[in-house]
Amino acid sequence: MSKKGDMLYAWTNDAEIQKKAELGGAVTTLWKYALESKMVDAVLVVTKGADLYDAVPVVITDPKELPKTAGSLHCGTLLMAKLVKKYLNGAQDKKIGVTVKGCDAMAFYELAKRKQINLDNVIMIGVNCGGSVSPVLARKMIKEKFGVDPEKVHKEEIDKGQFIIEYEGGHKGISVDELEEAGFGRRSNCRRCKMKVPRQADLACGNWGVIGPRAGKATFVEVCSEKGANLLDGAVKKGLLATEAANPKGLEIRAKVENAMFKLADKWRKHDFTALGDGKDRLRKIMSETARCIKCYQCIDQCPICYCVDCTTRNPAYVPPGELPVNFMFHLIRYAHIADSCVNCGQCEEICPAEIPNALFMHAQQVELEKMFGHTPGVNMDLPLLALVEEKAERARLNATGSDMIYENVFNPMPNR
Amino acid sequence: MVNMMSDVKTELKYVPTTCPYCGVGCGLNLVVQNGKCVGVEPNKRTPINEGKLCPKGASCWEFVHNPDRLTKPLIKKDGKFVEASWDEALDLIVKKFSEIYKAGGPKALGFQTSCRTVNEDCYALQKWARVGFLTNNVDNCARICHGPSVAGLSLSFGSGAATNPFEDVLNSDLIVMWGSNAVEAHPLAGRRVMQAKKKGIKIIVVDPRYSATARLADQYIRFNPSTHIALANNIMYYIVKEGLENKEFIQKRTKGFDDLKKTIEKYADATNIHGVPQETVQDFARQYAKAKNAVIIYCLGITELTTGTDNVRSMGNLALITGNVGREGTGVNPLRGQNNVQGACDMGAYPNVYSGYQKCEVPENRAKMEKAWFLKEGSLPDWYGVTLTEQINQAGDPIKAMYFMGLNPVVSYPDSNHVKRQLDKLDFCVMQDIFWTESCEYADVVLPGTCFAEKDGTFTSGERRVNRVRKAVDGPGEAKLDWEIIALLAKKMGLKGFDWKTAKDVWDDMRACTPSMFGCTYEKMEKPESVHWPCPTIEHPGTPILHREKFSAADGLGTMFGLEYRPPAEVADKEYPFTMMTGRLIFHYHTRTQTDRCSILHYDVPESYVQMNTQDAQELGVKHGDKVKITSRRGETVTTARVTDDVAPKVMYMTMHFANGVNNLTNTALDPLSKMPELKHCAVKVEKVA
Repeated sequence: MSKKGDMLYAWTNDAEIQKKAELGGAVTTLWKYALESKMVDAVLVVTKGADLYDAVPVVITDPKELPKTAGSLHCGTLLMAKLVKKYLNGAQDKKIGVTVKGCDAMAFYELAKRKQINLDNVIMIGVNCGGSVSPVLARKMIKEKFGVDPEKVHKEEIDKGQFIIEYEGGHKGISVDELEEAGFGRRSNCRRCKMKVPRQADLACGNWGVIGPRAGKATFVEVCSEKGANLLDGAVKKGLLATEAANPKGLEIRAKVENAMFKLADKWRKHDFTALGDGKDRLRKIMSETARCIKCYQCIDQCPICYCVDCTTRNPAYVPPGELPVNFMFHLIRYAHIADSCVNCGQCEEICPAEIPNALFMHAQQVELEKMFGHTPGVNMDLPLLALVEEKAERARLNATGSDMIYENVFNPMPNR
Repeated sequence: MVNMMSDVKTELKYVPTTCPYCGVGCGLNLVVQNGKCVGVEPNKRTPINEGKLCPKGASCWEFVHNPDRLTKPLIKKDGKFVEASWDEALDLIVKKFSEIYKAGGPKALGFQTSCRTVNEDCYALQKWARVGFLTNNVDNCARICHGPSVAGLSLSFGSGAATNPFEDVLNSDLIVMWGSNAVEAHPLAGRRVMQAKKKGIKIIVVDPRYSATARLADQYIRFNPSTHIALANNIMYYIVKEGLENKEFIQKRTKGFDDLKKTIEKYADATNIHGVPQETVQDFARQYAKAKNAVIIYCLGITELTTGTDNVRSMGNLALITGNVGREGTGVNPLRGQNNVQGACDMGAYPNVYSGYQKCEVPENRAKMEKAWFLKEGSLPDWYGVTLTEQINQAGDPIKAMYFMGLNPVVSYPDSNHVKRQLDKLDFCVMQDIFWTESCEYADVVLPGTCFAEKDGTFTSGERRVNRVRKAVDGPGEAKLDWEIIALLAKKMGLKGFDWKTAKDVWDDMRACTPSMFGCTYEKMEKPESVHWPCPTIEHPGTPILHREKFSAADGLGTMFGLEYRPPAEVADKEYPFTMMTGRLIFHYHTRTQTDRCSILHYDVPESYVQMNTQDAQELGVKHGDKVKITSRRGETVTTARVTDDVAPKVMYMTMHFANGVNNLTNTALDPLSKMPELKHCAVKVEKVA
């Protein structure tokens, strides 16, 4: 019987999964068990779309379909939690298993705090993530920096600080540092990210720290919750998964890798935040960049903190409708509502058609707020600084005062004016 | 986004497809659950937009299942529309069209296709018109957006399409945006310009209006509406005067320089026409001529005028005189308006060409098509068919019956009152659409078609990239695929060559008789990069950049033209003292049949407005938000004033999206070469509504 805190090597006994999976295939095997044992009704995982640069989310209920989801796609920059909220009813009525990166795990917690996802119905298998690369940029990088036709690449991975590709006729690795200096490499939010091992998931898996004879053939598993322990034990008991205690030396190596990643993230934070300037300079920069906004609302739509049905950006008293350039209040509303809880998932920046570094602005503020108030978003169920409200109840309460204008109600509460 | 109720959902299907709005052709994923579209999610793999979308693209799933969708054929009986079976409706259409054809011949019929629907639908409609009724009276609504680009660029460069891809602006040293508000009208092409700006590439916006795009510019040049030729000639005067023309390029790759030179000598100072100070003109000339690679991006500000073709050729002149064509970072790029405006033309839904711009006047082309289409030798007509708005003018005489596929002429064509009067004169009119539009009132039969989410097919974007459209859900009620409706009509007439089973069959039918697109197979389009035509063979990789070694004209040369400035057909005068310009808005598409049914777009702009200058507003006693009545010689509209200095004094601006809006005012006068009506310039008077 395993328990929270256990560190193991795990590998699959399933012949089918073995063929397709990487590094032991533990994650795919655990999902197979979860589905077969009805521990979950469905799993939300990622599969290859048009090619290996195209990560597409898929909901699987038939364990036979799992092998197609095996392996990792470093060009997958999806955010799974918001998909569960938007399309899977927030796991309110179904038990769902999800493979998560650090940002996904953090997003699940933030949406759960806001009652948009029922975490009791979610099992998360975390995977170590050193960062992901946007697909189109990845192809350009492979063409320009590696001198390889991206069509010919059949495998990519990030290992030991290198972005490595395997292609028809060879393999090639270039240091991530070098790529990023040249404007390629991981998304900028990933560079600043320090959630490399998502321990707030139920199990945290990866290949860091797998050494010795098991290297490349087993998955490192850290048990992070009772739910995770049950899943693991069940799969082992069924004979689907084999485990052994992790090599102590492997533990050290794993910690070293994680620490190296932290240091790199600190370097990027310093780099990015310094470039933003301070005080009025920073404000000026934010105002000039956001002035390009074309009001697609996608930063809101994709944000794992946003959930309001009646978004304040759609209140004509704050943001005049139908106007370009968009009133700066649009962005101020976003900062005020989100900055304390921003998990730096990067979606708002990656999907911005106006090339506004939204995630950078939001993350820079979150880091400052965390310093001031000590609240870290995305790691547990602790509530953020701003009190959460039941949106509908709060709107009703405000409406009852004769106006739903929050500012007026807070500073000038005159019922039934 | 929809909030799922308690019914259990365990499906999450992404269908990668192409946005149904503008000519950029963004990729997106339609999210499908239980047979319904429930959202749009980014497709980050597509090279066109990398997952980024504008407000329209992001909300395009919302109209698909709107309860207003047409679900059954409707026939007008005793002035009222009643539901009918498909057989009844199609039999009636065949009967009426056949009768009218028998009595009046091929010139008694008119066929018009939308640039909003897939290539396969456009090809099917023109094939039916040509095979079934031996007529060239077939056109598409490119006529009223980029018709002058097709005409003008063909004359200048030998091909009527954009020369370079959108992303190529990042290879430029100077981006000139002339009469293009890309940030609103082509937002994800606008994004490329934003990227260029971040890269430090200089941007000059030339526009009568300080638009959202002008705000991006390093330099904004305001000029008087519709004075493009005078300004371009004035610029070229300085280029030649200072010896900045690209002599080697002119000598090796062009003709017509002497003709141009003679004309531009007369434009030493044209400030009295275009309103731009001479030092600005001179400075622009130097910047454009001296840039290593300069690109011109233009749009409807250039084309929608009676001088449209000459305006386009003026852009061609500028590029040719400086050698800015045929390599990365250069070119002359019209931003094609609608999602498939390039494609509708490519498919031969045009009165003088078959698919791939094979001219009807060439006997060999006719002979080839007659063979491909099982027609008797010598049966296809050689005459130039009647164009879009000229068909409206001919309604009643000699055109007695018209077929509209996905068009709303009562709102989108100039002079709405005229359009309504003309449609009333038809003996028989068919509207095939997805929603009941303002134009359906004028139909005898209304047929329910299917929208982009319900069909397989292709849209060809403004960069000549053929993008796949993939079926996500079934159409509502009895709605049918649009090409299938056409095929059923053709088969009822006993025509051969319409036995298509799938959209791919229609596409392959087209490919087989279209050399420039023969290599554009559905297989190639499976890749998100897809393929740019020309692509003549299966092995060919496609052609992102045109005119590299030589121009597409028969002699391989680019042609410069000496073009004189001509004023618009109707200019402001004492009685109608204001100039009315028209344009587009980021929040809506065309006549809003789709966009107004998306909640956020309706929220942002629910009704029309007019931009007027602060000084004018003051003189008229109009305040921001006041209602005003605007009148032209052809009609009137009531709208809300937005008071701003974004437009110059005596100039006003309205968007074209609203029924009983600006097209009640606009002028039907035509560009003689391209038959483009003067949608962007007419004279109006304004009064405050009490």
